[in-house]
Amino acid sequence: MELQYRVSWWTYLIVIAVGLVLVFPFAWMFATGLMTTTQTLLVPPNVIPSPPTLEGTQEVFNRIPFFTLLLNTIIVSVSRSFITIVVCSMAAYALAVIKVPGTGVIMVLILALLMVPGDVFVIPNFAIIASMGLTNTLTALVLPSVFDVFGVFLLYQFFRGVPRELIEAARMDGASHPRILATIVIPVARSGVISLAILAVLFEWKDLLWPIVVNRSAEKLTLGPGLALLRGTYITDWNVVMAAGVMAALPMIIIFLVLQKQFIASLARSGLK
Amino acid sequence: MNQVGRKNPAGVLTGVRRVFARRTLAQREAIAGYLLLLPFLGGLAVFRFYGFFYNVWLSFMDAGAFGAPKFTGLDNYRKLISDSQVWLSLGNTLKFAAIAVPGVVVVSLLLAVLMQYRFRGESVFRAIVFLPAVCLPTALILVFAWMFQTQYGVVNAAIQAIGGDPVSWLGSSAGVTTVVSLLVIYLSFSVPTIILYAGMQDISPDLYEAATLDGAGPINRFFTITLPLLSPSLFFVIITTAIGTLKLFDVVYVLVPPIDQSVSLNYAFTLVYYYFYVGFVTIGGRGYAAAISLFLLLIIMVVSGILLRMQRRLVHYGEDG
Repeated sequence: MELQYRVSWWTYLIVIAVGLVLVFPFAWMFATGLMTTTQTLLVPPNVIPSPPTLEGTQEVFNRIPFFTLLLNTIIVSVSRSFITIVVCSMAAYALAVIKVPGTGVIMVLILALLMVPGDVFVIPNFAIIASMGLTNTLTALVLPSVFDVFGVFLLYQFFRGVPRELIEAARMDGASHPRILATIVIPVARSGVISLAILAVLFEWKDLLWPIVVNRSAEKLTLGPGLALLRGTYITDWNVVMAAGVMAALPMIIIFLVLQKQFIASLARSGLK
Repeated sequence: MNQVGRKNPAGVLTGVRRVFARRTLAQREAIAGYLLLLPFLGGLAVFRFYGFFYNVWLSFMDAGAFGAPKFTGLDNYRKLISDSQVWLSLGNTLKFAAIAVPGVVVVSLLLAVLMQYRFRGESVFRAIVFLPAVCLPTALILVFAWMFQTQYGVVNAAIQAIGGDPVSWLGSSAGVTTVVSLLVIYLSFSVPTIILYAGMQDISPDLYEAATLDGAGPINRFFTITLPLLSPSLFFVIITTAIGTLKLFDVVYVLVPPIDQSVSLNYAFTLVYYYFYVGFVTIGGRGYAAAISLFLLLIIMVVSGILLRMQRRLVHYGEDG
């Protein structure tokens, strides 16, 4: 290793160049967000806003219901993450620990469904949600996605690694299956459960097609699709759009920086998908 | 057990009870298991199985905005084959994938190699590599839309500063293709980078040492050792990125929104975008949209099939892989 990867001055040169390119869109978003609309229309553009202003940030609140969108995002992410874990861990427990008759068939089914793109289900799921009278609700954003085949597949692999003796011993002591799941299996397999929790939140942030199909009202959207509303509705004021982008992205970037290790481990596991 | 039974008749009873108890125990276990599976399987039954067959059923229907869907046989599929927009969308989708997939491979290989070095500021660099994957995609797509804006965008300003002519990025086919491909690469290189990074960590340093003794330089070692041993991870990255790009929607939708009614839509339509457009922007096209979604499924299956076949032929698996 030492030999193949020896650090020299040009390593730093490349790292700095690559790092700057990767950060540039973020930097440009911050810079534009602090400009006035007039400043964004300068040719050639000013790279540094002078003077920086919060005009764009204030205007965001006039254009989109920002706090509603933020609150919706928090509610939907947390509930999607939590319900996905409950549903998937129960299913994975039945398959990996109890090994119910038919486990093989169910696993084949799960693997087959992993291959089918979720977009195929947008029209039928819209019809189902509409027939339940749930369009334009936050429930509609959460409901179809919590029955996550990927989540069951991921947890199945973690739950199989839980030592058999621990479970047998708890059974001997008369513990019920839900109790064993909650007090033994989930704590022992916590890295898998945490990964699924983080991935469910990330998938929620990346969802766009389903939310805009099922919820037409801006009051019932999350930040991602809500920001998309800023484009095209008016003559685009880019300082406002960028300020909104910063306000939406900043909490997520902070959460990522705090939980960086867990995020990276989870993303590595999402490769399975 | 017979012996026990002969000595003590009550023992037989206990034995029978035990066998019986064991059987009901197994049954009880199974029942408990199915109860735990119930929410998951119930959800799949509604949102996946019923949903899938409903979609197939709908694809044979003329589903207008009002009234019940009318059975029209293969009409939707006939329309699909003769609809130039479908083939245009398929062409765009394949074009984006053909550019973005190699792009993601090259960028993530470069980043994975850089991450092997132990330089100062390594952790900052790693955080930067993951930022695009954890940030709100809509926000980043909007930044690109702004950077590539024709009149006031920073990219055209840079082009003009070095003496070039401004490009109409979102108003031309080549422009849209460039911006979309760059965005797809930017939004999706992070996960491939960790996968390739982990793959590189698994390569034994002895191999590099042996190659060096044989006189191979670093670039030579990269192509003769790193790349071949990395081929399983590389193929995994190629397949997942290809499938992801075939399903592309968010990037094209936010860059070129459907309200524009402009020719740019034709440059930006992917299969999913066109499917959304037919099903939810225009009125009365649900049945036809269902047929398009099944066409998308077919395309994804075919492309995955081709890639998996190539994998069997090209990928080098080590003794332990």
